[in-house]
Amino acid sequence: MISIDFTLNGRLSRIDVPAHWTALDLLRDGLALNGTKYGCGEGVCGTCTVLLDGEPVRSCLVLASRLRGRAVLTVEGLHRDGEPDHLQTAFARAGAVQCGFCTPGMLLSARALLASNPSPTEHDVREALAGNLCRCTGYTKIIEAVLAASAGR
Amino acid sequence: MRLRPFALAEPESVREAVEILARPDGDARIIAGGTALLPTMRLGLVTPDRLVSLHRMPALSGIHVDKGVLEIGAMTSLAALARHGALRSGWPLLAQAAGRVATPAIRSTATLGGNLCYAEAASDPAPALLCLDAQVRLADSVGERVVPIGEFFTGFYETAVAPGEILTGVRVPAGPTGARSGYLKFCPRSAEDRPLIGVAALLVLDAAKRVDEIRVALAGAAPTPMRARRAETTVKGQELTDRAIRGAADAAAGEAEPLSDLMGSADYRRDMIRVWVRRLLTALRDGRPSP
Repeated sequence: MISIDFTLNGRLSRIDVPAHWTALDLLRDGLALNGTKYGCGEGVCGTCTVLLDGEPVRSCLVLASRLRGRAVLTVEGLHRDGEPDHLQTAFARAGAVQCGFCTPGMLLSARALLASNPSPTEHDVREALAGNLCRCTGYTKIIEAVLAASAGR
Repeated sequence: MRLRPFALAEPESVREAVEILARPDGDARIIAGGTALLPTMRLGLVTPDRLVSLHRMPALSGIHVDKGVLEIGAMTSLAALARHGALRSGWPLLAQAAGRVATPAIRSTATLGGNLCYAEAASDPAPALLCLDAQVRLADSVGERVVPIGEFFTGFYETAVAPGEILTGVRVPAGPTGARSGYLKFCPRSAEDRPLIGVAALLVLDAAKRVDEIRVALAGAAPTPMRARRAETTVKGQELTDRAIRGAADAAAGEAEPLSDLMGSADYRRDMIRVWVRRLLTALRDGRPSP
């Protein structure tokens, strides 16, 4: 077992996990934070995306030990005082969620984009979400939602 | 699906890492970003007993410019390369190629050292480094050696890294003054894929618009990333007419040794080398900023 101190959704946390666990194993099986999904397990689908020090990463491809001393943001940390944040609201309004399995990863990739580029073009949004696969929506509504959130709508 | 259990070492110095790698008990692997290694482990293609992570070694991180030479720590992420100001102005070819690897959430984690050691023939950064005459730093318990990037890739997924050695960094000299450069990747399946063919080129034209210097390198065109030396020779000293460019593209297709796989046959790859070398050289000649 290895001991990991890190900041999880704004709170200092400590957890002991087996050395071969990934960040995704830690979140889902160690902490029961099941918002972050296990999709392909090889970094392609993007549904396990979380933010590590503000940058999107595949939690299925990051060993848990790499979280030490760093800040992790998962979909559970997006809300504002229990209410959906502006991106979540924009996704709901635009109809950007169908089955919902890709949504946590989409939200976090979009969050990282808007943090570094508050007024993205449609092309910027497409590039930022290129690694997040959705098999339901055809992406149109998701891109509309991110653009709406960036415009404060 | 969980990874098969392994022991994890997180040394803080090259000496310590080399010592751990040399222990006789079981198969040890170096892990850098892990974006290539962990999927390979999930598939059961490699089953290490121990992983030696390099992320705690300060000597392997960071980007520095020293007397006009770029020094990149092996653990530098591809995202950090793509957004680094000094790279974007001084070595834009490398910044561009690093920014074309996979997707944002992979680039944030994947490292330059890991990309090179994985030795994927269709690496995006490799052809850029080949055009820039980069050198690779390899360290072991005794000291360090520096290997030209052209001698680093030795075969299909094989490199010059000897057992017990660690790739610690990459050294990139300043490019020739007045050089224009670019990287194009052809992805027939999806934009975030590895390229079927990647083409990097660096070009200096003299006052009479003749080719003073040219370097062309290819990804996915042979068992290893490669310089297209015959293509370069074909147009050196010539004016870059459409005809001359077609000659260079034909030469590149001729000297390539592409493999057939699920992405495309060797013949198709050869055809696409011809197409993409022509497009890149034409764009560079015409001064299109981002070909």
